[in-house]
Amino acid sequence: MGFSTDAIHAGQIPDPTTGAVITPIYQTSTYAQDALGVNKGYEYGRTHNLTREALEKNIAALEKGKYGIAFASGLAAIQSILGLVKSGDHIIATENVYGGTYRLMELIFKDYGLEFSWVDTSNVVKIRKAVRPNTKLIYIETPTNPMLRLTDLRTVKGICKKYDLISVVDNTFMTPYFQKPLLFGIDVVLHSTTKYINGHSDVIGGIVITNNPKIHERIRYLQNAIGAVPSPFDCWLTLRATKTLAVRMKQHNENAKRIAKFLSENPKVKKVIYPGLRNHPHYSLAKRQMSGYGGMITADFGDLKSAKKVLNRVKVFTLGESLGGVESLISHPASMTHASIPKREREKLGITEGLIRFSVGIEDVEDLIADIEHALK
Amino acid sequence: MSNNVKIKSRKADIDDTKYSMDTHIIYGKDVSDKWDYSHHVTAPISSSTTFRLDSVERGAQGFTQFAHTEEFGEHAPIFIYDRLGEPNKDMLEENLAYVEKGEMAVSFSSGMAAISGVLGILTVAGDEIISHNTLYGCTISLLKNWYPRYNIKWNPIDLTIPENIFNALTEKTRVVYFETPSNPNLDIIDIAAVRKIVDQINKSRGDKNKVYIVIDNTFSTPYCQRPIEFGADFVVHSLTKGIGGFGTDMGGAVIGKKKFRDILHLIRKDFGGVLSAKNAWSILTYGLPSLALRQKQQIKTAMQIAEFLNSNSKVEFVNYPGLPNFRGYETARKQMVDFSGNFAPGALIYFVIKGNTPAESKDNGRKFMDYVADNAYTMTLAVSLGHTRTLVEHPASMTHSVVPPEELANRGIDAGGIRIAIGLENPDDLLLDLDEALKSI
Repeated sequence: MGFSTDAIHAGQIPDPTTGAVITPIYQTSTYAQDALGVNKGYEYGRTHNLTREALEKNIAALEKGKYGIAFASGLAAIQSILGLVKSGDHIIATENVYGGTYRLMELIFKDYGLEFSWVDTSNVVKIRKAVRPNTKLIYIETPTNPMLRLTDLRTVKGICKKYDLISVVDNTFMTPYFQKPLLFGIDVVLHSTTKYINGHSDVIGGIVITNNPKIHERIRYLQNAIGAVPSPFDCWLTLRATKTLAVRMKQHNENAKRIAKFLSENPKVKKVIYPGLRNHPHYSLAKRQMSGYGGMITADFGDLKSAKKVLNRVKVFTLGESLGGVESLISHPASMTHASIPKREREKLGITEGLIRFSVGIEDVEDLIADIEHALK
Repeated sequence: MSNNVKIKSRKADIDDTKYSMDTHIIYGKDVSDKWDYSHHVTAPISSSTTFRLDSVERGAQGFTQFAHTEEFGEHAPIFIYDRLGEPNKDMLEENLAYVEKGEMAVSFSSGMAAISGVLGILTVAGDEIISHNTLYGCTISLLKNWYPRYNIKWNPIDLTIPENIFNALTEKTRVVYFETPSNPNLDIIDIAAVRKIVDQINKSRGDKNKVYIVIDNTFSTPYCQRPIEFGADFVVHSLTKGIGGFGTDMGGAVIGKKKFRDILHLIRKDFGGVLSAKNAWSILTYGLPSLALRQKQQIKTAMQIAEFLNSNSKVEFVNYPGLPNFRGYETARKQMVDFSGNFAPGALIYFVIKGNTPAESKDNGRKFMDYVADNAYTMTLAVSLGHTRTLVEHPASMTHSVVPPEELANRGIDAGGIRIAIGLENPDDLLLDLDEALKSI
């Protein structure tokens, strides 16, 4: 089935007892059992929920995966991934990932005996050099947040095959509409569904998708054992949102392309990073492994003072964390999303004080450009 | 699960009639010909506007059977479209019918949609409606401002003397409509006495020109009074109030005999005042199951507050059905009884503050309410009732603002009258705030 067809139909069979076309919100914490040890496969809301199942099947189909396991947040999904390894194991992770991912790994799970190497995974040589005898997993963000660097998924797959590693890709920025890592042989894809997948800035959620039955079994076990499950109502809202994912992503992409071009042509902007620009270092890779460039743009305005001016003057863009919503958001990575990374590390990654991240919404692009234009004057 | 799997429902074989009402409204009917949620301990929230039909034939069957109980029986297990019916509303309706001792219930989007729904099926142009003088402001507005357009005449009288019906009656009278206790002054109308009179009238009338008794039971909730037991033909509710109980969702319902279900479904379908499934779900899941507990607590508190006001020197008079000196006390004792038969005088109180002139009394009332609005922690100046929070309001300028000042006396409303709808606060805290508010005058 095509993407839009799956988005609207996958996982969503009419309710068996009533024929309701839209999946009900199965707002129950527990299920009546027929007899001791005899049930219909549903025992308790943390373990099973029909609305959640519908969402899991739906997003799994969009990612061309067999299994989806939904979580209460993107970070809860990432935490479950760390349950695939044990104390003493080593993980190679993309440097300049989302700050929360860095915090979870470096500041929390390191204390539990996991080892992390923060590597520029856009460089295959650097990945190979980072592999150790105890390496078990490679964790990739492509494009990265906020520097929008790309990692070649085919290369990662090759390395993982050679060294018997699990490959994980955070696909939040691209969504399956523009990039399907499983098709490149990646083992696990995850999302903060809070972002583009839900897209309306009203739900916090996460999901893990895989084709590997063993990984599925383990993550499913962790979902129940750790308990960070999403509410049925949040699943229902997200399920409603995936139906418009294709049309939203198209518009995010169109708007972002226009704004990236506008920023590139403005002399007050020191540097514009957008995978759809020809001067992006990974432009040809972007064309190869993505079918669009997404709605995220990062631009350097030189220094904190100039950046602050833009951040404070925009009116249509809202100053706020998060991304992927229908409304345009603007943020300052150094002091907001990536504040948990030490300053020295930050600067090494290129997250300077003058850097601004744009999450381009689906408003009329002329209004968005006028807004930035006005702020730059 | 497929359509063909027959699910064994846990409670299918249990005779639920031997259990008490309090218990029943927690369980309700989770299995019927149309749905089976016996497996879900809490029913799913129905969130679909439309329903899959297996075939054109079955679709056609669904449309033909809808609201045609007489030809096809009650068992039409085909959902078509939310406005025609869906599981959450149907489950709520089953429970409402049971708790009001009616044969069936049809839900509506609001209390006013329910009232206009039932009056809509009982009257045609040229007909007349007799009502009590005092009614909720929007019901007055419906009868006074809209029904003349359809040539339906409204005849308000004092129904605390049921014999007055004979004087107001004409060949065209179709409905006797009232609230007991009435909104806002809590007049008590003897339901059984009205029934007796209407029976007498109906003796000489055929089915086509029969008079029906419709009672708005919102103030009492079925916990305090089941008017059908005393002879009401129809009960209407604003589910937004005591039944919903938390102030979160609008809703309405008409409860009565089975033979009216079809036509009520039809008027709901064509006029469109359909209850949202999500609202039905909250009322079904939170409102009804906690009704008995909430009402018990609110009545206990209301009694304390009414006694306090009754003995306060600044208060001219207090209307509360639980006070022995209240004019409706004896009738209230007879018809306002809880599920176990105890006197249940409700959670609403109406009172007037003293003044040397009516204008001064009104002014003092305003001072009291403004004090409450600014200083009281436990009381909120707001319309509505049956909430977890105690709500205070001024009928003459708020719920009954449709009544012009010169008409207030006819409608049984005092210019300075104050209505209190008791919530679930600690009664001592309410007394504290009330005492301070009265001292401020």
